[in-house]
Amino acid sequence: MASANKPINTDVPEKDVFALHFLQSLSNLRRQNTFNSPEKTNDRVKKIKKVAYVSMARAAGGTNRLWSRALLRRAAKENNKVVRFPRRKKRVTCLRRRRSNRRDPVEEEEAERLRNLVPGGGGMEISKLMEETAHYIKCLSMQVKVMQCLVDGLAPK
Amino acid sequence: MDLSVLERVKWLQQQQMVSPDFFEILGSDGREELKRVESYLGNNNDELQSFRHYETIDGCISRTSSFQIEQVKNNEENRVIALQHKRKTEGKTEKIENKKKKKIKTEDETESSMKGKSNMSNSETSSEIQKRDYIHVRARRGEATDRHSLAERARREKLSKKMKCLQDIVPGCNKVTGKAGMLDEIINYVQSLQQQVEFLSMKLSVLNPELEYHINELSTKQFQACFTDLPEAVSKQLMMVDASSFPLQHQESLDYSVINSIQTTTLGSKDQTSSGWEIHSQSLYNNLRTDSVSSFFSLE
Repeated sequence: MASANKPINTDVPEKDVFALHFLQSLSNLRRQNTFNSPEKTNDRVKKIKKVAYVSMARAAGGTNRLWSRALLRRAAKENNKVVRFPRRKKRVTCLRRRRSNRRDPVEEEEAERLRNLVPGGGGMEISKLMEETAHYIKCLSMQVKVMQCLVDGLAPK
Repeated sequence: MDLSVLERVKWLQQQQMVSPDFFEILGSDGREELKRVESYLGNNNDELQSFRHYETIDGCISRTSSFQIEQVKNNEENRVIALQHKRKTEGKTEKIENKKKKKIKTEDETESSMKGKSNMSNSETSSEIQKRDYIHVRARRGEATDRHSLAERARREKLSKKMKCLQDIVPGCNKVTGKAGMLDEIINYVQSLQQQVEFLSMKLSVLNPELEYHINELSTKQFQACFTDLPEAVSKQLMMVDASSFPLQHQESLDYSVINSIQTTTLGSKDQTSSGWEIHSQSLYNNLRTDSVSSFFSLE
């Protein structure tokens, strides 16, 4: 809390990194035999979506961002895998909850909705939530751009 | 710097020493600059004359001096405010903020009043009062000065800074004011982005099996178009580094038609790389730069 003049870091890597990860995982996916069957489109859709999110998380933050870690952990749990993250230095995250009634109820309600949307937002305070949301939005939009490019490229001429 | 040179040119032109051909050489950009200078200075010849003697330095001087003036002013303001508060709070003990280690620490002896306005953004100006790593919050006149409300104010300002950050990112947030509206906008935006991802993944799942068909429809023209804007050596190396750090297990899955078709086209100045993955990654890189994905994707 001492240095408040540090600018908020919301750097996002270039489009290439995202595309690389996404294509990698897509090609891995395609090698699965069950994937290319013409039926069961819903399964395919779900798998592709999950692949998109996971590759985005890897490309964007790896384990440096809270939302990416939560995403990866969630995805790994679905596959019944255990993900081990390197133990980070324990930061002073237990801010003093002051007795003052600054917890604006309206604000909290909105923050609750945001927490449901952004992965990993459950345990965060509002200021941290804002940072994570900003980074998440940037990464999402980059991923959307990459996917849009792909789809445009693949569209039948 | 540029400004001063252009001013000089302008002045010279006004003295009819420079032919109008000079402006042809300057090009349209230069002329625009000159017009800017003109509007800035006015068409007053006298001003230009006064600039004549201080061409190279005047811009710098004006910039630095204004900055210094600002500094001095701020110091004076701070001192004035400090004096005012001194008169107001004669009985209270004064402790300067930089003696406190952390702003929010609950220390018993710091029952002091904090004065002035918040200096979180101007920590550079009054150096004798502040050090770099403290948050210096000063209470405005008429506001509460106890620690809790100050901390709350600091927290609110942090939040508003972050909201501003978000406002830049989310399009269309400028019109809405207030935290609730902006949060609504942000939530809508995140939801729409997630829906887009889902929609695009649906599209991809439909298009995916058609990948095989596109390989035969490769046109050499597309290849050449991709490889004309080659990445520079540095970015090429970066790409190599990226590729190597994510080991691919499917190098053998690259179609042989890929390698054949690449060898048939002229690659220009690009080095002939041996492994298929490197070609693949480079074409990836190129295509993403030019946003034309069709040809490289059909390589897969």
